[in-house]
Amino acid sequence: MSEEMMIALEFPSSYQWLNMIDLVCGEVTAEMGFSHNALNEISISVIEACTNALEHGNKCCPDCNVRAVFRRLPDRIVIEVTDCGEGFDFHEYLKHIPDPSDIHKKRGRGIYIMKAMMDALDYERVQDGGMKVILEKMVDGGEEEDE
Amino acid sequence: MKFKVRESGNVTIIDLSGKLMGGCDADIFRDLIHELLEKGRRQVIVNLSEITWVNSTGVGILITGYTTLRKNKGDLRLLNVSNKIQSILYVTKLNLIFECFEDEQAAVASFTG
Repeated sequence: MSEEMMIALEFPSSYQWLNMIDLVCGEVTAEMGFSHNALNEISISVIEACTNALEHGNKCCPDCNVRAVFRRLPDRIVIEVTDCGEGFDFHEYLKHIPDPSDIHKKRGRGIYIMKAMMDALDYERVQDGGMKVILEKMVDGGEEEDE
Repeated sequence: MKFKVRESGNVTIIDLSGKLMGGCDADIFRDLIHELLEKGRRQVIVNLSEITWVNSTGVGILITGYTTLRKNKGDLRLLNVSNKIQSILYVTKLNLIFECFEDEQAAVASFTG
């Protein structure tokens, strides 16, 4: 069972920092007991959340930061990613979520991917402005074999 | 993202490396596909073995290349797809769209029959 801990990072709205987030995510989730597939799913989802935050939330404005918080709990990982954008109605979006297999769409798959890969996904507006996405995945035991 | 282009008969192989994501990568890849089409090269394999990571925007870049080539009676097939990219393709059902190969000769042969 892993020790409870929290790590918070804030970075400018630039793709160059996503690699750092991926590395931190790998370090935080290592040895928690996730299977290799689950670790991949967490990594992919965190990158999607940060990509959405910097692209859609902050409109890639270099003066706007993205904040990522990793909360390692004994039975799960909780990741919060906050941007400075206007936000959107997540539950309304879910009613009309685009078909991810539509090859005519260049974008718009991030939320679908996060929803499919994580155990829980929610968005909430932040009091001082901005939007926070909360991702959660339960430890799965780590015994699953890769195909 | 960086790329190198090589040829195997009528098939063009694009070796991508680095990170496949948003920003200027989309413009670079779109221009590359259009350049190939102007040269009459419509059969394309994208080798992802040196891609360190990808996001859904990066997958969208591949889809744009795929649709552009298909509209011009060509095709885009993937080579050396990592577990992470496979996961994204599977979840989005795009694994039903892209033909994926682990062996370059097999990928080239899939075009030449």
